[in-house]
Amino acid sequence: MKPGFRQSMAWLHTWAGLVTGWVMFCVFVTGTATYYRADISHWMRPELQAAAVEPGVAVERGAAYLKVHAPKAVAWFVSVPQAERPLLDVYWFDSFETPIRQATLDAGTGAPTTVRATQGGDFLYRFHYELQMMPGLGRWIVGASALVLLVALVSGIVTHRRIFSDFFTFRRDRSAQRGWLDAHNVTGVLALPFHLMITYTGIVTLAFTLMPWGITSAYRGDELRFFVEAGQSPAWRAAAGRPADALPLAPLMARAQAEVSEPLEMAIINNPGDAASTVVAVFEEPKGLAHRHPQVVFEATSGAVIARLGTLKPAAHVFTSFLGLHEAHFAGPALRGLFFLCGLLGSATIATGLVLWAVARAPKAGAVPGFALSLVRGLNLGTILGLPIGIAAFFLANRLLPVAMNERATWEGAVFFAAWGLAAMVGLARPYARTWREMGAAAALLFLSVPLVSDLTTDRGLDFAGFDAAMIAIGLTLAWGARKVSHYRGPARLRAATAPEALARA
Amino acid sequence: MTPSSVLLNLALSFAGLSALCLAMDRHHRAIFRVAPSRRQARALRGAGWCGIAASFAAAVILADWNFGPVQWLGSLTGAALLVVGLVSYRPRWIRPAALAALPLAAAAAFLA
Amino acid sequence: MPDEAALRTAGLGWRWRALVAGRVALAAFGGYGVAALATAFLSLALPMARSEAVATATLLSFAIMVGAVIWVFSAHTLSRAALGLAVPSTLLAAGLWLALALVDTAPPA
Repeated sequence: MKPGFRQSMAWLHTWAGLVTGWVMFCVFVTGTATYYRADISHWMRPELQAAAVEPGVAVERGAAYLKVHAPKAVAWFVSVPQAERPLLDVYWFDSFETPIRQATLDAGTGAPTTVRATQGGDFLYRFHYELQMMPGLGRWIVGASALVLLVALVSGIVTHRRIFSDFFTFRRDRSAQRGWLDAHNVTGVLALPFHLMITYTGIVTLAFTLMPWGITSAYRGDELRFFVEAGQSPAWRAAAGRPADALPLAPLMARAQAEVSEPLEMAIINNPGDAASTVVAVFEEPKGLAHRHPQVVFEATSGAVIARLGTLKPAAHVFTSFLGLHEAHFAGPALRGLFFLCGLLGSATIATGLVLWAVARAPKAGAVPGFALSLVRGLNLGTILGLPIGIAAFFLANRLLPVAMNERATWEGAVFFAAWGLAAMVGLARPYARTWREMGAAAALLFLSVPLVSDLTTDRGLDFAGFDAAMIAIGLTLAWGARKVSHYRGPARLRAATAPEALARA
Repeated sequence: MTPSSVLLNLALSFAGLSALCLAMDRHHRAIFRVAPSRRQARALRGAGWCGIAASFAAAVILADWNFGPVQWLGSLTGAALLVVGLVSYRPRWIRPAALAALPLAAAAAFLA
Repeated sequence: MPDEAALRTAGLGWRWRALVAGRVALAAFGGYGVAALATAFLSLALPMARSEAVATATLLSFAIMVGAVIWVFSAHTLSRAALGLAVPSTLLAAGLWLALALVDTAPPA
């Protein structure tokens, strides 16, 4: 847009980064939290104690519930209880046109669980990729924003001409704008491989929503057929239309387990009760980057093995490895910690970029900021501090809402959005610098109060020490950050000092 | 992908990146008041790249080609963050910290 | 893009804005169009199993789109940017039309 490739890219980086920054900040923060989804879910169901249940028995229990409550369903799914989620989840489709339905059962009894109703870590996970909106709309917004972010990343690399000579440089003592620019560069460059990887692989997780045209042209839009041919999904067997007795599930699961070394994750019963019914044993991902689940398919009435799914062709392997890299299920605690750190750096890169946009355009002392600048400042506050406030309120709601409340899980979500909305309105309505300090302090207090409230309302002792430590660390970081931000003064003088090198103001 | 292999990666990456950081005029000056001589800079750069290469080799040997590169990049990011933090807030600690990282790496290698 | 830069400094704000809006629209719709055509074409044309071709083409499509967007914003003028997308789009569309006629995509009976 300006003469010269680098100037064009600087312009593109600035504006692409700004328009996608708010959504992507939320996606990065909730996605980073999702690395600990199981731990969050665990914390949010404090009544739950792990009980070891034989997988085959668990599958029978789930199927028994479904036989009573969903006899006419076209497919049942029974998810085997795991150490990090000791509950029996069952899902079913009443027909292909209706949305999936779900019930959570006690793994020991097979009756609906009496544990408090909560979405747990799944709430943040679902927010991460569809913003808790209608799936179609939410995924498109996240996917399109991620594409813009990828453009911002590539143009940012071109713009930042001294990647290597400034590699370790964080000049916090020069000027506010220089400090923010260095912080943006350092957090961006240090985790650059992660940023590129996570953005591209994230787009790939939504690939067939965003870019269905390969399936349209090569499969005439038959997505299921593509997954069958790619070896990722067993072929669908149509119902025969007459009832027949199925074999017990536990022996089938045991036979499948004898062939596969990974633990059983889920059983799928297609067309239950029908003569053509099939049973699929789905196993956890084998050690490896690729996100693929070994599967053994049985005929439900005879017990004959119809298909075995496991190995993938090269392109499908790369595709699923992208998904695996994004989700990092393979990572042990130490590597998961590094992924989490990289996620935080990504969130920080976006946040510092958004703040830098506003700092670089700060009016001279005494002048009134224009509408656009006020709006950006308000949105920055409402997003960068509003989202953490919402998350802390969500955790507090989990402990403070009555356990027997109607629609309890929905109310937890409502508290999240209400707290965030309130914070965002404060951000838009109140002056700038002071509000950062006040809202930062409020967010810090909310996070610091989570372990306290949790300890007063539950009796799990030190079971959640890790979660509590994380809350305290986040609270202290927010308090420190709010203090830093509120110390920023005198934009006019500083702007003049850095004008010649105002990279970010291209 | 055991914690000790990640620790080994972190220690080697940290030592290597610290040497690369000290090889740069700006940071060397901030710590020792003078720029490094050409020979010092070259030696530090060589040591730095050796540390990073050793970290990569350790990652690939301990976590194989599947996860090794992922673990290596992750540890580089973590270690670089540590170097930036030190060079901005406690520049004088860099050299002792980098030297201390070497026995730590040896201990982690023994455990891994 | 010296002429556009001159427009900006000359205070012709609305023309500058229209040109920027044009580039944004071209990048979003043109970039997506090129990527979509490339995906549809490569899914049929790549010499590998059908599912492999779709996976490869879909993986590549997002890099293609980003490349197209970078091109749109780095080209000297808006019309050059548009031409740079129109030529590959036409070629890809022709290739897709040919591939759809030649490759049998019907499900097995």
